Amino acid sequence: MSLILEQLLNALALAGLLFLVSAGLSLVFGILRVVNFAHGVFYMLGAYLGFTTVAVTGWFWPSLLIVPPVVGLVGALLEASTLRFIYRRLPIYQLLLTFGLALILEESIRVLYGPTAKGVEPPPLLQGAISLGGLLYPRYRLFLVVLGLVVGAAVWLILTRTRAGLVVRAVAQNAEMADCLGADVARVRTLVFGAACALAGLGGVAAAPMTTAYLGMGIGVIVDAFVVVVIGGLGSIPGSMAGSLIVGAAQTWGAFYLPETAMVIMYAVMGLILIFRPWGLFGEEE
Amino acid sequence: MGTLRGRRVTRLLGSLTVVVLAVLPWVLARHQLSLLTDLLIFGLFALSLDLILGYTGMVSFGHAAYFGLGAYGSALTLIHFGQPIPVALLAGAALAGLVAAPVGWFSTRATGIYFAMLTLAFAQLLYTVAYKWRDLTGGSDGIAGVPKTALYWGGPSLASPRAFYFVVAVVLVVSFVLCRALARSPFGRALQAIRENERRFIALGRDPRPLKLLVFIVAAVFAGLAGALFAPFRGFASPEVMFWVLSGQGLMMVITGGIGTLVGPIVGAMVFILVQEILSTYTEHWMIFTGLIFVLMVIFLPGGLVGTARRLVSRA
Amino acid sequence: MTSMLETRGLGRVFGALRAVADVNLTVTVGELRAVIGPNGAGKTTLFHLISGLLPPTSGRVVFRGEDVTALGAAARCRRGISRTFQITSIFPELSVLENVRIAVQLKGRGNFRLLGGKAVLEATERRARASLDFLGLLTRAAEPAATLPHGDQRLLEIAMAVAQEPDLLLLDEPTQGLSPEDTAATVAVIRQIARERRLTIVLVEHDMDVVFDLADRISVLHFGQLIAEGTPDEIRANAEVQKAYLGGVE
Repeated sequence: MSLILEQLLNALALAGLLFLVSAGLSLVFGILRVVNFAHGVFYMLGAYLGFTTVAVTGWFWPSLLIVPPVVGLVGALLEASTLRFIYRRLPIYQLLLTFGLALILEESIRVLYGPTAKGVEPPPLLQGAISLGGLLYPRYRLFLVVLGLVVGAAVWLILTRTRAGLVVRAVAQNAEMADCLGADVARVRTLVFGAACALAGLGGVAAAPMTTAYLGMGIGVIVDAFVVVVIGGLGSIPGSMAGSLIVGAAQTWGAFYLPETAMVIMYAVMGLILIFRPWGLFGEEE
Repeated sequence: MGTLRGRRVTRLLGSLTVVVLAVLPWVLARHQLSLLTDLLIFGLFALSLDLILGYTGMVSFGHAAYFGLGAYGSALTLIHFGQPIPVALLAGAALAGLVAAPVGWFSTRATGIYFAMLTLAFAQLLYTVAYKWRDLTGGSDGIAGVPKTALYWGGPSLASPRAFYFVVAVVLVVSFVLCRALARSPFGRALQAIRENERRFIALGRDPRPLKLLVFIVAAVFAGLAGALFAPFRGFASPEVMFWVLSGQGLMMVITGGIGTLVGPIVGAMVFILVQEILSTYTEHWMIFTGLIFVLMVIFLPGGLVGTARRLVSRA
Repeated sequence: MTSMLETRGLGRVFGALRAVADVNLTVTVGELRAVIGPNGAGKTTLFHLISGLLPPTSGRVVFRGEDVTALGAAARCRRGISRTFQITSIFPELSVLENVRIAVQLKGRGNFRLLGGKAVLEATERRARASLDFLGLLTRAAEPAATLPHGDQRLLEIAMAVAQEPDLLLLDEPTQGLSPEDTAATVAVIRQIARERRLTIVLVEHDMDVVFDLADRISVLHFGQLIAEGTPDEIRANAEVQKAYLGGVE
């Protein structure tokens, strides 16, 4: 019984992290129609900046508040100075541009921090384990579960209940029309891109105490995030949630029962979706 | 390039290039010849990528996997079986093609960005296999001490830089001629139509998937050939040659040179590596600069060097 | 075989929207049929159902006596249905000649030729040139298709479809966006095609002058349903049709 609970919580924790990264990826595609190849690197940036914040302030909690906006700002600046100019081009150029950005960012991080992984101490409140009806479960992982749920709910509410969210969804549906109706489309795009990067950065900060901040976490997470988004549907937040849960579960149970094949299971699920329902569980048939 | 004058110019340039390639080994210093050989190998890699990227419009983020498979295939053949180089080349290319078949079958069920990410996912999978299967691949250390063997059983050794250079140059020229013939064939023409408007293609009576799968495999075979040359040339094969960074660099080479021109990517590869060489003497973080140059190129010069040059020439 | 095309209870539903509902259509060999109807009536969807780009949610499509409902667009094209699109769909970077040549090549064989195939290229090019000549586009053969003015691009689409030597030609709003001169030229071309090639043509059109000029019979679609069918005179006098168009057909 406690094993099942432990597995379930592990899956949820992983799902929470995946959601933070894939929600941003999904948003950027849904609204900008661009797949941000650099998205994983923003996640990595968040982790490293989290390390720096903890090293400088001695506290963990501030990093949750400081780092995401910083990462978001970096993303917004990059979008405004490069991506903005090529929206009208063929998608391949946008893909390649974000790829080039990914390379620049990844190498910059290597320059600033060096090649070794950086460990981050979780705050005292989240250290150790808590007893859950007979199961001793790490507090930090529980925190990840809660964080994923809270952020997911917040993003969903902002998109569906606020006026800003309405404008964003209008631009996603029909940018030209939204432009005619007075929405500053270019600004919406920059904001959304920045917000997506901020989410990824938050994911990185949250992940660091568990996985350490290391080079190569960018590429690892983007493939995972992409699988999530394919399963859930590009451009759908509920899709990202569902996809994160499925991938989190597959990886957790796969890692436990068939260790070497966890990745293969994930690709298998993605493959099945691509064959039978390519637009994802919650996506729109084109 | 349909005009008679255009064709004559192309033929002249082509012949000139072959002559130059034949003469260079006696003109260049040893390390320069080594660099040139490197350029030609990656030129072949970029050429193979142009087939799917430039002609068919398929963006692959995992093309380096086939380069890597070619390298491992050839390395293992040379180290464990001591076969002549051509056998190793065949082994490497065949391994790449064999793996590309199921991967391609799967990936071509998707289009656009989904296809791109599928290729990346598969490439990462292969990379992880290469990394973890220590017994076969040597893990993160890779396979070292790959020898340059002979031209054929009992034949002359290819250990000298000049001899190996000629093998590489011949393979590249032959591959180029084959790829060009392919691009001009009915098959190649159909690929370009797929790139331009896939929906229209279907409405005109054909399913594009088998054609895409075939070109995917062909491109993988040529990439594998390049990798198979790389292993004996550098003397090793390691997981790095399968890494996504090389896939991305491949894309950069093709874009830099000019998509869909076949010649462009070869030129692009050479320029790319030369720039890297020069930059790396100034700073160890040259990757940032190449990334930057690439970003600027995508924004300002989407036709690449050869593409832009052709446009300028046709205007003059 | 009396009918070229027959649809039986053909329907297509998108979620809650019934785009096409229970359409029974019979087009005889050599006929020129026009399909008209107000915007949103489902004309283009009907074309997608007939050409195979969209599977129906109900009903069947019978082409030359054969039930082709299960076949996709590519297969139906090879069986003899060629079409043009409402929004011009050509190969922009390829030359005008290549656009038509590819259309011929894809219908025929030899698409997998990797090497050689020179004969295939020459044969297909000859047929493509003939088609371009027929449509008056031969002088622009070498230009990239994207540089053609809108009217010529519409003609190019027709050239591509005609070059495939289909039995059934589907033209989706061929005069859309054309100037009066270009419209007259296109009408003349369509009439010539119908006469010389003895094709069966189904035409979707908004321009009533064109419709009454060309059509042997007219089918009227409204909210996805067939509300009237008959000769141009019968349709002109039909009260239902006039009501559907709000203000009369004239």
